[in-house]
Amino acid sequence: MENKKKKIGIPYALYFYEYYPLWKDFFNRLGADVILSGPTNKKILDLGIRSALSEVCLPVKIFYGHVLSLSERVDYILIPRMVCVDKGAFFCPKIIGLPDMVKSSLDYLCPQICPVIDVRQPYSTWKNSLLQVGQLITDNSIEISQAFSVSWENFQRNYFKNILFSNNSSGKISQKNVQNRKKTIKGNEIPVNIAVLGHDYLIDDSYINLDLINKLKKMNVNVLTPDMVHPGIIKKQLKKLYKPIFWSLSRKVVGAGFYYFEKKIEGIIHLTSFECGEDSMVGELIHHQSQKHPGVAYTEFVFDEHTGEAGINTRIEAFLDMIRRKKRYEISFASPR
Amino acid sequence: MKLALPRLGNIYVVGETLITDMGHELIETPLNSKKTMDLGVKYSPEYCCLPLKIALGNFIEVLDIGAEGLIMAGGWGPCRFGYYAQVQRDVLLDMGYDFQMIIMELPRSSNIKMLWDNINLLRNRKRWSYMLKKFKFAWQQILLTEELENKVLQVRPREKEKGGASRILLESLKKIKYAKDIESLVQIRKDALRKFEEITIFNKKNIIKVALVGEFYVSLEPFVNHHLEEKLGYLGVEVVRKNSVKAWMEPIMRLNIFKESFKEEKDIEQAAYKYLSHSVGGEGQTTVGNVVLAHQEELDGAIQVVPFTCMPEIVAETILKKVSEDLDFPTLTLTYDEQTGEEGLNTRIEAFIDLLRMRRRKGVKVS
Repeated sequence: MENKKKKIGIPYALYFYEYYPLWKDFFNRLGADVILSGPTNKKILDLGIRSALSEVCLPVKIFYGHVLSLSERVDYILIPRMVCVDKGAFFCPKIIGLPDMVKSSLDYLCPQICPVIDVRQPYSTWKNSLLQVGQLITDNSIEISQAFSVSWENFQRNYFKNILFSNNSSGKISQKNVQNRKKTIKGNEIPVNIAVLGHDYLIDDSYINLDLINKLKKMNVNVLTPDMVHPGIIKKQLKKLYKPIFWSLSRKVVGAGFYYFEKKIEGIIHLTSFECGEDSMVGELIHHQSQKHPGVAYTEFVFDEHTGEAGINTRIEAFLDMIRRKKRYEISFASPR
Repeated sequence: MKLALPRLGNIYVVGETLITDMGHELIETPLNSKKTMDLGVKYSPEYCCLPLKIALGNFIEVLDIGAEGLIMAGGWGPCRFGYYAQVQRDVLLDMGYDFQMIIMELPRSSNIKMLWDNINLLRNRKRWSYMLKKFKFAWQQILLTEELENKVLQVRPREKEKGGASRILLESLKKIKYAKDIESLVQIRKDALRKFEEITIFNKKNIIKVALVGEFYVSLEPFVNHHLEEKLGYLGVEVVRKNSVKAWMEPIMRLNIFKESFKEEKDIEQAAYKYLSHSVGGEGQTTVGNVVLAHQEELDGAIQVVPFTCMPEIVAETILKKVSEDLDFPTLTLTYDEQTGEEGLNTRIEAFIDLLRMRRRKGVKVS
């Protein structure tokens, strides 16, 4: 019985879009089974909506759904309390309070593992928190610290590659369509570059965003996301702000957004979820920036649990039509000499 | 320089001390009104929380009557409040106003220069000792204002004639505003307390006690919470207000300008620990802790006030459901946005108070 593998469930929502590879690698090295709640679907969403307070934001409701869908299949559910991963920035209050929220609104859950990740405190850095979690799986402390250092190294190295359902691997704005524009003047088929901004859990979850990324790709759009911008560039772009942003997840969105504006990409779509506190402020910053760059088309899509697919389709089509009409005009009449 | 402050309940009285006495001109912010709300809502980002919108409305109103500098508090998260000033500045600049935003917040490496400039601007070439004296006096004004406000909450359900306590408070506030030294504050306090005594019926029975918890701004600003404290008072309910500027300013007091104890804060954290073991910014943990404490103090119930979409309070609200169940302690959550209707609110409050009275009659709880 002792040798029975422990099953650890990871709800695939919120911050796990970024940190899942680290946890999975770590647990696998310790010889535990990691069970990932699959991509979001109707059942998970319904479970979440039914059990969460109506005022909670959509991503957290979906997190609830993932937790419930795992509960009966695993020994432990991993819900880290992410407080602070780089100095001067926090996660959103709902993420900090997430373990307590889950505990108080869901009954009959299997035991949860809730390590605190707060790099400002020596006892709750990544290393110490993971080492502590490791003790649940095995008593061998040397094995745990080895597992940590290997998985941490892998995570750092592959940070860009292993973001799971990531959609596009190329990190550069395609210059092709600029060069070949005379050839591609065929109605709707003009390729355009569009940056989709937003948190990872909105961009990569094709159920919440109603398969937006694939829809765009089918319409011959080169989709760019915040993940494709190098952290160094993001850091540089953030210096434009009057006051630094104190939310880790939003830093990436704003920095990437500012970068794409500067690069004069054709269009920018900002994905937000209803009731998201960060997005309400960050959206304003990006909107403000968009007014300084009138050449870049900008729009904002708000997702909630009722978002109708037809509505989104119409908006995407209108947005693309607008950009393409402008481009056609530029190609036909304003050709450079 | 012509300076202005946003409105926050009665704490506005310190404007006279902090601005006029420092040699600036205070542009009186109009009382919060429908117009303030409309202006704020019109120009704010749609999903921002209510305090940002109202403060923005305040700023537009004062800029229209000639303010040049706007004083606003800031913070470092994770609550959105810390980023208000930046967004408001952006919005106001877009609208074409010319002004200076004077943000007062805790020092961090990125803002030390700005903060130093702001403090020097407020100091206005007066002596440091003079400024410190004025700050200390303003702190005394705040303490007295809050003491009288708390007194009113006790007197209101027991007053002989409706509105008496509120009238006395209003008179005292006017005096506090223009007071210049500690002696006059002591006198004002003595007068007010005596007057309160005169209008109180002492042996009134069956008074329900309710804790008021939740978001700071909404619980302190009567216009925003639709005069909740008054409404409850006239229903014969004694409100125990758990938020105060005193408690809010205490982290800043740690800079050792003023010596106060932090015992209360520790107690609240301790009480909340079982349900919410980590601070979530804003008043999230405080709200949970205060409800647990209200239960220990044997109050009859608690009312949580929340601005729509407030992040920390939503965490607290989720957890309060559990706290309320565990402790068998009634709580009511009131969410405010720019469209909160008066009658719906009245109905909910009355129903809640009826429930508390019923519980007491049945002897579920005797306090």
